[in-house]
Amino acid sequence: MSSNKKESTSEPRVGVYICHCGGNISDHVDVEQVAENIRKIPGVVVSHTNTFMCSDPGQELIQEDIKSGKINRVVVASCAPSLHELTFRNAIKRADMNPYLYDHANIREQDSWVHHGDPATAKATTLVAAAVAKTKRLEPLDPIRVDARNHVIVIGGGMAGLRAALDLSSRGIAVSLIEKSPFLGGQAANLDKLVPTEASAGDLIKQLAQAAVEDPNIQISTCSQIVGFEGYVGNFKVTVQTHPPDADTRRQIIRGITSDKSQVGKMIPFVGYFPSAVPTSEQTRIIDTGVIVFATGFKTYTPRQGEFGFGDFPEVITLPMFIRHMAQAAANDKHLSFNGKKIRRVAMIHCVGSRQIPGIHEADENDYMNEYCSRTCCSATLRAAMEIRENFPKTQVLDFYRDIRTYGRGQEDYYDRASESNVLFFRYEPEDSPLVEKNSSGDFPLKISVKDTLTFGEEIEADVDLIILSVGMEPNPITGLVDMMKLPVGSDRFLQEVHPKLRPVELANTGILLAGTCQAPMDISETCNAAQAAAVKASALLGKGYVELDPFVAGVDLAACSGTGACVDVCPVDAVKLKPVKINGEEVERAEVNPAICTGCGVCVAECPHNAIDVKGWTLKQYEDMVDAIVAA
Amino acid sequence: MSRELHFDTLVVGGGIAGLQTALDLADQNYQVAVIEKDATIGGKMIRLSKVFPTLDCASCITTPKMAASAHHENITLFTYCNLKSLDRDSPESVTATVTQKPRYVDPDKCIGCRQCEYGCPVYVPDEEQGNFNLRKAVHIPFSNAIPQIAVLDMENCSLCGKCARVCPTDAIDYFEQPEDFIIHAKTAVLATGFELTPIDQKPEYNGGKVQNLITSMEMERLLAPHGPYMRVIRPSDGKEPDSIAYVQCAGSRDKTLNVPYCSRVCCMYAIKQAMLLSGALPLADITIYYMDIRAFGKGYEQFYQNAKAMGIEFVKGKIAKIEQADNQYVSLRYEAQEDGGRVVEREHDLVVLSLGMVPGWTPQGVCQVSCDTDRFIKSSMPQIAPTVTDMEGVFVAGVAAGPKDIVDTIAEAGAAAMEASKYMTALGKQKAA
Amino acid sequence: MSNESNNTPDGKILILATETCAYPGANSVGQAHSSYPANTYILRVRAPVLFPETFYLDCFKKGIGGIIIMACGEECPYDGAFHALSKRLDQVFKTMKAKGLDLRRLRLTAICTVCNRAFLKEVNDMNALIQELGRPTEGEMKAA
Repeated sequence: MSSNKKESTSEPRVGVYICHCGGNISDHVDVEQVAENIRKIPGVVVSHTNTFMCSDPGQELIQEDIKSGKINRVVVASCAPSLHELTFRNAIKRADMNPYLYDHANIREQDSWVHHGDPATAKATTLVAAAVAKTKRLEPLDPIRVDARNHVIVIGGGMAGLRAALDLSSRGIAVSLIEKSPFLGGQAANLDKLVPTEASAGDLIKQLAQAAVEDPNIQISTCSQIVGFEGYVGNFKVTVQTHPPDADTRRQIIRGITSDKSQVGKMIPFVGYFPSAVPTSEQTRIIDTGVIVFATGFKTYTPRQGEFGFGDFPEVITLPMFIRHMAQAAANDKHLSFNGKKIRRVAMIHCVGSRQIPGIHEADENDYMNEYCSRTCCSATLRAAMEIRENFPKTQVLDFYRDIRTYGRGQEDYYDRASESNVLFFRYEPEDSPLVEKNSSGDFPLKISVKDTLTFGEEIEADVDLIILSVGMEPNPITGLVDMMKLPVGSDRFLQEVHPKLRPVELANTGILLAGTCQAPMDISETCNAAQAAAVKASALLGKGYVELDPFVAGVDLAACSGTGACVDVCPVDAVKLKPVKINGEEVERAEVNPAICTGCGVCVAECPHNAIDVKGWTLKQYEDMVDAIVAA
Repeated sequence: MSRELHFDTLVVGGGIAGLQTALDLADQNYQVAVIEKDATIGGKMIRLSKVFPTLDCASCITTPKMAASAHHENITLFTYCNLKSLDRDSPESVTATVTQKPRYVDPDKCIGCRQCEYGCPVYVPDEEQGNFNLRKAVHIPFSNAIPQIAVLDMENCSLCGKCARVCPTDAIDYFEQPEDFIIHAKTAVLATGFELTPIDQKPEYNGGKVQNLITSMEMERLLAPHGPYMRVIRPSDGKEPDSIAYVQCAGSRDKTLNVPYCSRVCCMYAIKQAMLLSGALPLADITIYYMDIRAFGKGYEQFYQNAKAMGIEFVKGKIAKIEQADNQYVSLRYEAQEDGGRVVEREHDLVVLSLGMVPGWTPQGVCQVSCDTDRFIKSSMPQIAPTVTDMEGVFVAGVAAGPKDIVDTIAEAGAAAMEASKYMTALGKQKAA
Repeated sequence: MSNESNNTPDGKILILATETCAYPGANSVGQAHSSYPANTYILRVRAPVLFPETFYLDCFKKGIGGIIIMACGEECPYDGAFHALSKRLDQVFKTMKAKGLDLRRLRLTAICTVCNRAFLKEVNDMNALIQELGRPTEGEMKAA
């Protein structure tokens, strides 16, 4: 930008803009008073207020002052910077000023919403004064531009991973799809017919997996894991290790399939799509990539020993176990049977391993609790219930639920049809969960009892042959990857997006995106939407051939640097190196920062004995001036 | 001759779904036109108070996307426009006829100074504030509207000429006529959103007749920081309510209303409003009458449990009848499931109907895209590509494809942008071949 | 107004809050509209490891009554930064002790993005302490 030099050399002329936030701020802070106080600070040439600074007229106020040459530094005092710092930077940029000659004073979340009356106004003045002090020290910065490889690594070969890989490839981006098992399709392979279309999950997997296999732009690596990671957006280096399936831990059936080459290209029900022969030897390779998409999926909750009789009684099984059982039952069976026994009455229990409440439910051995709803189980349970009633009308179905959550398109229909086909519903409170016991007498193996709130708290007891636990979702354990890449994880243990609405498929780690159930429970439609949203973000990131990064990285003042190497020793990411330079004809060593690697943590700043290194945009001197402004107020 | 314009994608609807789709396409360097029926973009979301489960102020999350769309070099916004027809003429091209409704204000001249609005002598109920207070016949829709251009409401205008006299830029034009123009594009995305189910559709609820029985959207306005009264009061008499109730599934999961489906957001917005109310009116009792609480999204169940812990009362029971009681109270009759099933009548100061969602637009007579039995636009691959419709190169995003919350809408908008960009990449390849 | 606060005996509390954890944590307290003392000034920092020993001592010299470093703790997004910070602070505490500054004036704590209660407790505790101690005395300030 040609205007930059002028901006940095001329005296700071600060424009201050104070937002009412439609009363959010101005009801507690006398914003006019703040504007007047700030106007007295030397260097402040404009001090305005506006009802909504984030609105177009608010932004235009700033732009006009810039364009007319009145100001060359901007402070906006409004809500938290996470909401609008970027908004104002962009506004400034559009007015042809360097967007980094700007600071944001947070007088809503950290003032008007927590303080009242005169102290709130006084504090707002101080916060704005501190921002003005910082602003005067700001230098124009330019975003760091790094070349980006037109390549994406997708981790996970389930529905999300396949969907994202296919979409990226259609946009001309090369994809490496890394799957840890020998199969594609992920957890969807454990499903049979899907709500609400009755489409076969296996068919859908096959459709996507086959397309991915046939796509020359997608390289699929099964039996593969990521063991090494370095680099930054546009230029990640990922180490992938491929190894033969572990013979000891693999179930026999899987060994059977993977050793049979004729199974290649087939969808094996309840296992997955078998894309290619498994490797026979271990192999490690490094893949250069621009973006990484996480599609690591979920695993189903395993009930604790004794939870609703699970593990104690063979007649207590999970819904996925039952779905598989139903699908494999001979089509002409007259009766529903399990383990050779006729099933006359089934109980289905919802919310097993979901919606757990501290104080009511027990935490697991790692002190975790699944407080969230798993979203898909209600519909899947009702679908299974209906299938029993329609195929085996002699088998009774009892359904024990907390809330029926058939929220999705076409799902309510399953609930209606289940009621119409005489599924009997019982509603329980979490503190009065159903009790499963061995039947001491009679010919039913189990009995289930519950306080039913649908019949106004009546104690209900029923003899049953089989109990199906509608188990929830847990994120797949990917601690290794989380630690290696330092990914943010939420208290629910799913990967945590930057913001659910502003940046829903991005992790805080630039260039690493989220797709599907590694983020939260979702059904297949929602998973595919999420995967496509991630793919579109990756496509936008890589489309230009380069990625722009924040310029907040360390910079060396060569005049002050004496080449002590203190910064090199402490840098955790090896972003600083000593480089020989010629100064006054003398060969000396000076520090040099690789801005694409530097994270801007600032550990070098405190260590430098000569104050020769600083984080751009966040310098020590700026902080010292802010403290002075705070003390002086 | 109508004006003819060319773009890569036409997005129908400038709500959060349409804007996100437009941004995701524009960021990939496609040229996008967004047409919006209202005088401002932002859709339903910009009209909300705060959004669940983060309780971010809706404006704070919507305005960045509105501003980003308005300023994006690859996006052109057409507000106050209706889609008259949309046809595919070849795999490479869809043609839309768009009607620009008259604003009676020249958008090129208007500088958003509001002098017309200040000068206008005609007051009419402000639909943007739940009709709780008044606006002028010529006005800017609301403070954070984009664009900041006035619109004159001819139905209420007295043609006194005051606005034309005070306008510093001569922007008022009482004789403006609707004008059609043509948009040619390669793809289209329908993001036409929703309307609430009508308040008076269930006779037992006496919606529209009972005082202090309001819609959830009206409550959003009462709760908004820049709402009609800047605080929550009972509309009939300005009393600060001591007891507020929510009637869940007031327009959903009801076959008699032809809305058999779940509207997906009403449980969560009721809980959100209840939480905001308990902050604004700490002494008020808040009750939510419900059938099933459907807190299924990320962080939603925890949000629901927090609301319970805050003392919001959740009562299981479908409300059978709503009537006016004495002193402008609202009486609710229901069968109390947790109380022996007896029929109970309770009175509240203020009752909110948690209305459901119906499609905001029908393609009938406009384009060849099919709807499902629920009247929302039908997806031809609901599982693996939910945004693909049965009209080639025309995609659907957000509530146009069935009720959903903002988070799911934004994801689907990204998906629709992906499908549209894939379609266009394929076109490019065919051409090259 | 500025004169007034100069005359009050209570010192000011400086809070160094990390951009990824404690700063949004403070915003979360705001979103909950929980009240806390207004003599608190939150500076957004990428990682507090940026500040050398002298920064803290200078703050006290300037009259800051107490400093709370609200870091991410183990969640720190920067490799090794938290460890380096604790090492640095050990040194700061040693110097403070040598110079006769009350060690409780400087506190390191971990605050997450939703740690509302922990945030309020830290702020209220520090405020109670500052009310008791006042701003650093002449002796303390010179020594620093």
